[in-house]
Parts: sequence; structure tokens; C-alpha cells
Amino acid sequence: MSYVPLKITFRMETPVALGFPWISFDGLVLHVLLRESLGEKYYYLPTKTPIEYIIKKLDVPMIHDPPLKKWRDLYVASVSIINGQPFVFHYFKRGDFRFPSGKIRRGSGFFKDFYLKITYVPVREVVFYATGDPRELARILGKVKALGKDRNIGFGFIKEARIEEVDYEAGLVWNNKCMRPIPVEYLKEYEDAAYLAYRPPYWDKRNIKLCGVPFTKCVLK
Amino acid sequence: MRVEVKVDREWLEKWRNYFTEYYDIGGVEEKVREAISFTKLYIRDSIVAVSGGKDSMTMLHIVYNNISHDITVFHWDHGPWLMPRHIENEILENIRKVAPKARLVVKRYAYGANPRSRIDYVKWYKAFFRTLEEIGARHHLLGIRAEESGNRRARGSIVRKRKWIEVYPVYYFTWRDIWAYIFKHNVPVPRTYFKYAKMLGWSRARLTTFHDQEFMKYGSPNIDSIILWRNKSIMVDSSRKVL
Repeated sequence: MSYVPLKITFRMETPVALGFPWISFDGLVLHVLLRESLGEKYYYLPTKTPIEYIIKKLDVPMIHDPPLKKWRDLYVASVSIINGQPFVFHYFKRGDFRFPSGKIRRGSGFFKDFYLKITYVPVREVVFYATGDPRELARILGKVKALGKDRNIGFGFIKEARIEEVDYEAGLVWNNKCMRPIPVEYLKEYEDAAYLAYRPPYWDKRNIKLCGVPFTKCVLK
Repeated sequence: MRVEVKVDREWLEKWRNYFTEYYDIGGVEEKVREAISFTKLYIRDSIVAVSGGKDSMTMLHIVYNNISHDITVFHWDHGPWLMPRHIENEILENIRKVAPKARLVVKRYAYGANPRSRIDYVKWYKAFFRTLEEIGARHHLLGIRAEESGNRRARGSIVRKRKWIEVYPVYYFTWRDIWAYIFKHNVPVPRTYFKYAKMLGWSRARLTTFHDQEFMKYGSPNIDSIILWRNKSIMVDSSRKVL
């Protein structure tokens, strides 16, 4: 596989709802690969079980390496670059269980609708930088229909994904700024640090380390 | 680049002017006088429970400056997983600023040093009410308001519990009255409030526990993850100190 520096631009159809100030590109790619590997089994995963154990137990082929360049134990893939002001969307969510026939109270009690809030950013484009195989990434990104949270209620629909080759590598550090969480042990200097998940799966607490914060100044060792 | 809520001085000044003007035309002064005369009846053998939020800080300011300096302030520290340390420190500093001569009792939720405290919230209620029993005051002054929910509106401003009586001095205040009082009297509140106010509106900005799954039914952790993303993952050492 030949890896080249890439700029990935998602043109958005609807605003992106976020559960964190950024989306990780390597997380997105690995999510698609895991879904490909597990097939239908992806949708009934047991909870509270380490992901390695699930893959082993379900007897599915191991996820092949994502088409992304690796530097130490990090993928050279940035977090999302979203230029926009966040807003809050308030909505009511109904339970997804079977409702009984007859009259029920939705304002209180067992069938109460949940009153939820989500942050969304109305943007035209979401940009990522990565170093990887453009052909394989194009195949994978073709399967990504939406970005961010609450895609089921219409957030984050993608109009078009564009992959361009660029002549600079901006997946890790660009213009002396971290483009993704990088553990401080890999950095010579850093402006700001926080405990962040630094590699996929990002929900796994074993991947949390003190990291240089994306879009703050840093110098790699 | 990063999705961020920025509170600028201009925006804050605009709202400060609005609320300060509202204080004069909205009859807030009269509500304060009513709250003072009502609270005076219950100030003996009482504790003032202060979370550090806008309502309790307003209540503390009213009680301390208009009724008595000789009060006991009770503050419950939720622990690092539910209340980021910088906000907790700011709250304690604010209480000291508002009521420097009051006796301050701070009790810490021991389970709050455990990440499971964000999910396992039944224990919280047990620990909290056990602590209140231990304190043993007859009157508990709380910053609960009728406007907050239907349940609270139905309670009335005095509630007799089994072992104490709950008294709500700012019960008839609206969110506008509270913010007007805060801006008029420069009552200190945590700065995070303004970020929430900018994002959710002044009526919806509340200070509770953060990243707490108990409030997932209101979608609060979704908002916390954007405003307080830095505190979503924290590390605590064996002596429960946040790294």
C-alpha cells in the first residue's frame, strides 16, 4: 500500500450533531471496517465486554489494518476541522418499546418521553487530514452516509466526500499545532494537555492518556 | 477549528445591563423584602444549604446580608468525577466571599472519587440524606424555586420532612429575578454558568453535577461533553487527588 498525504472534505447536507468538540478520522475508518468485518453481528454486540474478546468470541476475521499510515501507535489522521458556532437542539424522544393499545400518558410515568438536548454545528464542510491509501479510503468513505451523533433524526448527512492529494502531511502536526490528541510522552513541547483517548476505540478508557490538545501548539520528539 | 463556546465581554455586558434594569422595573426588591421577612421566622436552629449555583448563592447573599452573619452554611462536595475541581474551588471561594463570617461545613461524597459515581447515583441519595441527618439542624434553608418544575410548584415554600423542615426563601423568584439579583449585587457564581447561558439561554442554565448519567434523560451529558470536554476523562490517584 502506498500512503500519500490527503485532505478529506465532507460536504454536508444537514448540520453535524456532536458529542465531543471533534470527530476522529481514524475512529471513523475503523468503525466502518469493524462493521464490515462483523456484518450483521455488529448490531447485537454484547455490552461490557472488551472489543478484542468480542471479535475472538464471534469468530470473525480480524479487522485488517486500516489504510492509514502509522506513527508509533498513532494513526496519521487528524480530528475534524469544523468552523462554526455550536447551537443546541431540544427534542423529545419516545421509547422504542411496544406501546399498549388504548390511552397512555406520555407526560409522566413509564411511557414518559425523554426531553433531550444535543449540540449541533451548522456547517457546509467538515475537513480531515490523513496520510493513507486514497483508493481504499474512497471505498471505505463511500459507506459513510452521515457524521456525528443523532444521525437517525437527520443530523450530519453527507452530500459528498472528496479526497484530494496534498503535498504536506497534516495528520499529526501542522503549522506547529497538534491535529489530533498526541500523548505528551511523544512530544518535546506542548502548550496545553488534557486526559484524552488518543487511539481507537475512543470510548475505551484504557486508551486515555495525558495528551497534547488538538489545535494547540506542540513539537514532536 | 475546535467547536467551542466563547463568552465575550460585550455579550456579558449587554445582559448585565438588561438584568440590572430588570431589577428596578421587575419588582425584585419587593420579592427580596418578602424573602427576608419569611426567612427570619425560620433562621433559628437552621443550616443554609448551598450548592454554589445561582439560586443558592442568591439565597445565601440575602440571608447573610439582611438577616444574620451567625449562620451555618452546608456545602456538599460531589467529588471529582461529578464536579470538576476548578468549579468546586470556585464555589468554595464564592461562598467565602459572600459569607466570610459564616460557619462553613463541607462534606465530601466519598464515592465521588470513583468513576462509577457517574452511573451509580442511588448511592448518592443515601449518602447525602445520611449526612443531612448527621448535621441535625431543625430548619434547612434551600434555594428551591416554584418555577423549576411542577413538583416543586406543588410543594409550597415550607415542607415538613420526618427529621427537619425545609424552607425555601427564594421560592417565588423567577429565573429573571435571580439573575437580576446576581448582577445587581455582584453575587459571584461559577464562570461556567455563562457558557451554559450562552448556549442554552439564561432560563435553562443550571449548575448540577456534570457528566452525570442521572441527567441523561435531559440530555445534559451531551452538552457537558462540549462545554466541559476536558473533564470528561479525568485521572485520580490512590489518594483521590485529581491528576
